[in-house]
Amino acid sequence: MIYLDYAATSPILPEAKKAMLDVLNNFPGNASALHTPGHRAHAIIEEARADIARLIGAQPHEIIFTSGGSESNNTVTNIFAGQSVAVSAIEHASVLESARARCDCVEISVDKHGKIKNSSFEKILKKSPKLISIMLANNELGTIQDIKHLAKLAHQHGILFHTDATQAFGKIPINVKDLDIDYMTISAHKIGGPIGVGALYIKDGTPFTPLIIGGHQEHGKRAGTYATANIAGFGAAARYAYEHNIPKLYAEKIAPLRDELASRILKEIPFSSSNTAQPSLPNILNVSFEAAEGESIQLYLDAKAGIAISTGSACAAGDGKPSHVIMATVNDAEVAHSSIRFSLGLNTTKQDINKVTKVLPNIINNLQQISTIQTKGAK
Amino acid sequence: MTTKQESEDWVYSEKVKEHFLNPRNFLMGDESRFSRDAEGIVGNPICGDQMKMFLKIKDDKIVDIKWKTYGCASAIASTSALSELAKGKTLDEALKITAKDIDNYLGNLPKHKFHCSVLGHEALTAAIEDYRQKQKD
Repeated sequence: MIYLDYAATSPILPEAKKAMLDVLNNFPGNASALHTPGHRAHAIIEEARADIARLIGAQPHEIIFTSGGSESNNTVTNIFAGQSVAVSAIEHASVLESARARCDCVEISVDKHGKIKNSSFEKILKKSPKLISIMLANNELGTIQDIKHLAKLAHQHGILFHTDATQAFGKIPINVKDLDIDYMTISAHKIGGPIGVGALYIKDGTPFTPLIIGGHQEHGKRAGTYATANIAGFGAAARYAYEHNIPKLYAEKIAPLRDELASRILKEIPFSSSNTAQPSLPNILNVSFEAAEGESIQLYLDAKAGIAISTGSACAAGDGKPSHVIMATVNDAEVAHSSIRFSLGLNTTKQDINKVTKVLPNIINNLQQISTIQTKGAK
Repeated sequence: MTTKQESEDWVYSEKVKEHFLNPRNFLMGDESRFSRDAEGIVGNPICGDQMKMFLKIKDDKIVDIKWKTYGCASAIASTSALSELAKGKTLDEALKITAKDIDNYLGNLPKHKFHCSVLGHEALTAAIEDYRQKQKD
């Protein structure tokens, strides 16, 4: 199988698996307990916290562990429950929907490449929301925002700033002090750690209200017994990313493969277009094929060639909701329904790219030939 | 809570896969190459699926059927299945083919994809109505 859906989740690193097995095999006890096994668990957790903090340039005490990116995002919107909050129109649902549900939420528009529109951002600044939340890089398109600049403008207006860095984490260099943000969401399984653990960076002295209460863990910031094995795996993955300078590897090895995939698709497949524009994450490519529907492309690739990719939207229950991200950028439901996302990982090879470019043209051609939609210029 | 059955409901049956990967009676490329007596179109690409049925009719019987579909695997499999079910039937018999018949023929679509079989049924009905209208004119 050729796996090109790393943005959905990535295989666990051997280093992370080993760290988790060490915990599971040696029962370290409850990290909150005062006995020796408890101390051992506590030490493992604090070591992981330090490794994660180091990777993003934070102080260890500015990191709390959560169950994942969605909880971290929900924690942030919950702090501002009932208050005015501005989020970009292309946020992950765990920001967008939780902000709409809990806060007085306004949305910031993006341009056709997914970049924050200056005019929209300036308008939002004048409304003085309590919080602005803009993702560092978009999960469907890969578009990277100029968070440092946006956070600076927000702060000049006395507005706090959160960024969901779930996709960017481990793919590009991130330093929270340089970006000067107040909250940042990260998740373990996107960098080769386990599913079920994430973290939230909370800058020293920033307002905070816990989402989960009923325990003193994380200095009262997040109740619940520590998931020691998951946290150990997360820490090991972060250590690996730091020690092997993984963002550099993505830039040098993965970005060229992604670029080659993009240029070959656009050149060799008629009626294809790219939804990914620079600056983008090194590993994501979102493309649309006129008259061919995304889910069908996905299933053909899977069934005929063992290639796993994802779609931005699927027709479910007849509501036919297209991807909110592509609707926010190009506002064209047909483009949205006809889009697929490739996301590459450290194990992706040139052979993988060759295989995709070998089988994809026929699949697209077949779907275009039986489609009710006529490709432009086609008879 | 999601039961095991409901979870499995997301998975396509072998028959759906088979029809999706090897669709029957579809019309490749240029539509005008197929001389037909009637056609019906339903759905909208903006909603993610659209189907078009082309019928050749002789003595009130569907002697040949072709289709085009823009949509997901279920939409393609549904149209393919319907074309098999309708071929050779009289128009009255064909009108009696329900969405449920298409669903049964395919060994059940995932629940959230049942609307694809409804669309198939509507496309065939639209084509037959088109034919009957033309006969009246």
